[in-house]
Amino acid sequence: MGLDIKSVAVIGAGGKIGSLTGGICAQEGLRVYYLSRSLEHAKKGLNRAIEQARSEVIADNIICGDYDSMLAKTIPYADWVIEAVAEDGNIKRQMYAKIEPYLQPNVIISTTTSSLPLDSLTEGRSKIFRKNFLSTHFYNPPGKMFACEIAATDSTDKGIYNFMKDFLHQRLGRVVVPTKNLEGFAGNRIAFLLFNKITQLALEYGTEMMDYLIGPYTGRLMPPLATIDLVGLDIHKAIVNSLHINTNDEMHDFFVLPAFIDMMIKNGLLGNKAGSGFYKKLEGGRILYYDPASGDYIPAVQPHLVFVEQAKHLIRLGMYREAFEIVKNAHEKEADIVRDILYTYVAYSYNRIGEVTDEQFGIDGIDSVMSSGFHWACPSLMLNLLGGAEETAEKMLELGLKVPDRLYNKTDTMLQILDSGKYFVAL
Amino acid sequence: MDKKAVYILGGYQTDFARNWSRENKHISAMMREAFQGASYQAKIAPAEIDAAFVGNFASELYCNQGHLGAFFADLDSALVGLPTCRFEAACASGGVAILSAMAYIKAGIYDLIFVIGIEQMKTVTPLEGGRFLGAAAWYEKECQGIDFPFPKLFGKLGDEYDKRYGLDDKYLARIAQINYSNAKKNPKAQARDWFMSFEHAKTIGKYNCTVSGRIKVTDCSQVTDGAVGLFIASEKFASEYARKTNTLLEKMPRILGWGHTTTHIEFEEKIADSASDEFVLPWTRRAITDAFKRASIKDCWDVDLIETHDCFTTSEYMAIDHFGLTKPGESWKAIEEGIIEIPGKLPINPSGGLIGCGHPVGATGVRQLLDVYKQVTGSAGEYQVDGAKKGATLNIGGTAATNVCIIIGSYD
Repeated sequence: MGLDIKSVAVIGAGGKIGSLTGGICAQEGLRVYYLSRSLEHAKKGLNRAIEQARSEVIADNIICGDYDSMLAKTIPYADWVIEAVAEDGNIKRQMYAKIEPYLQPNVIISTTTSSLPLDSLTEGRSKIFRKNFLSTHFYNPPGKMFACEIAATDSTDKGIYNFMKDFLHQRLGRVVVPTKNLEGFAGNRIAFLLFNKITQLALEYGTEMMDYLIGPYTGRLMPPLATIDLVGLDIHKAIVNSLHINTNDEMHDFFVLPAFIDMMIKNGLLGNKAGSGFYKKLEGGRILYYDPASGDYIPAVQPHLVFVEQAKHLIRLGMYREAFEIVKNAHEKEADIVRDILYTYVAYSYNRIGEVTDEQFGIDGIDSVMSSGFHWACPSLMLNLLGGAEETAEKMLELGLKVPDRLYNKTDTMLQILDSGKYFVAL
Repeated sequence: MDKKAVYILGGYQTDFARNWSRENKHISAMMREAFQGASYQAKIAPAEIDAAFVGNFASELYCNQGHLGAFFADLDSALVGLPTCRFEAACASGGVAILSAMAYIKAGIYDLIFVIGIEQMKTVTPLEGGRFLGAAAWYEKECQGIDFPFPKLFGKLGDEYDKRYGLDDKYLARIAQINYSNAKKNPKAQARDWFMSFEHAKTIGKYNCTVSGRIKVTDCSQVTDGAVGLFIASEKFASEYARKTNTLLEKMPRILGWGHTTTHIEFEEKIADSASDEFVLPWTRRAITDAFKRASIKDCWDVDLIETHDCFTTSEYMAIDHFGLTKPGESWKAIEEGIIEIPGKLPINPSGGLIGCGHPVGATGVRQLLDVYKQVTGSAGEYQVDGAKKGATLNIGGTAATNVCIIIGSYD
């Protein structure tokens, strides 16, 4: 087909993911049109891209403009249109209708969504639009998170899909994860199951305790409820609700959003962007934690559990396997919560093989997106640290989890552990 | 065949992009990873090791921790009782640790030595770290009251070139660009995901400000955490190892030659001494020519690649003519002609060097040797120099007060 990408138009370039993804393209020498609802917004996006690259020279590759005056002048010259407008099907559909008249026949159109049904987004669009349309789900911020899920609809041209897979990897340095066209793709499906399960547990155990128990020592750079604050509780709600409506699996009940999340959103406690969420930072750096049971913010109690502290100490010394032996064998009741989350992570991930990613890739695609999209220790590594497939399957049965048909150990686990040491933080 | 030949059996590098302080890890965690990784990669059991040497510059300053050799006993029960010691020569600490291991093996004292180069530097602010690095120069004379003494000193190296031969800074920018470009292919390089272009490297701006004199941010290697472990073996051990791993001893990389010189610690003293010399740093040149002589090679064109000490772009500019790629003062020609790029006639720093791969001070000399080992065994992955059989390293300490050059290759 002779596809090539030299110029890119980013629709929604004033937003974070649009501007930063466009910035990655500009860094690679592509000409990038930053289009937003106003020139001012587009320029805000440009500044964000400059900050990401830590270089002003990428601005030479970026042209900013607003939709009204620039769509007609730029879309006909774009080889790839990245749509990154708000996560709302109607807004996206309206935008597609607006740009379609200006598209050249071979222009690739991709959306950055992973949680809206792709087929519904292209309703009313021409056959050629649908042929050129797919999802390229970049993780935020793309300068640090290298995963990019790619998903096609039944109408997507195979040549375009394969070209984009190569282009995203070779030219934009992405860890490309081909996924099925299902809500949440692979990464959000798994991560938000766990996030939501942890919010459910927070009702009983509290914010501080849950983030202490499932803290960075368990193989993630950031505690889960702090991550939800970063994502935004409104976004968390939208993703979890979409997954609850559009998927149906053995963990369906864990996609039920706890009522206190709605209350938090109603009260404007949206997370970092609002200044308060699960965490509230006071002047002077003191932190208060949201108490889901009472709806109040409460001071830190600084939990201290022997098994957690021992595991953290071993992580600090780089003794990952020994740390997980402590977690596996601890008798404290809180250790049951940690094990429940870790075994659920492994079970749920392996159970998604063939559903969210192709069977032929085994656990590899899911592994890639969890480490390169979330900075979590990947499921196969966690399986290894929990004792391998046989031992873990027994434990899953005990916990009442669905044992995956394809629960298998990877080879070369020593290097995998060493390479993944960065995901285990002694905090 | 040299019966006192010293062989390299492989090793392991930690990911230089990591920030071990942010992970709240102790320096021994980095040692553990380098040791476990090297043992695994080289298929060597802890019990086979006769001694362990540490190259480290200043862990007392960065980590409040000295006596690093004693941590080996905590890494594996088979290492309790092992003779260990630490070597320090500023940024050449790794290089002198390797030379010391080589000497022990040549003397017939040990048959297998594990050498680790290590530095955890992100424990402190850049300003404080800059002051610590001043200990590699004559602190009282050259660093007192100066925030970042080394960029200033290596800026002066560029100024000296400018004075003697002329120096256009666009060539320094090109050196930075090439190193970053090579680093993109190295999965363990610190700057593998960082943006760089020639335009960026030559433009002064908010993100590429002047650090000192002609030195901008992009002219500098950055603060890096990292460790590299490497196994160095005698002919006796290597023969048995070759038999066990089903490889030919003749094909196994060994140290073909080495040079080691030390001169005045103070930069101005060195420059004053070389006023009538065609080389700006004649003792660096001497370490290189000594290594050539011991390796029985005629000149730089007998090696297939160089891993040099580009702590700053000016030090790589210096290395180009000191290795003899050009006449003294004409390094720019090798840059302009693409000689130092992959796949040029003599690629320099295919790993990305200190600028692209990173510069955990005490680890650098060991990392360079491991990278040349990878090159001559065809295991460098995407940054492989095709058909590499021999390679050279240049590891310098301070402002090239200590110079270590090592040539590695196999017999055929």
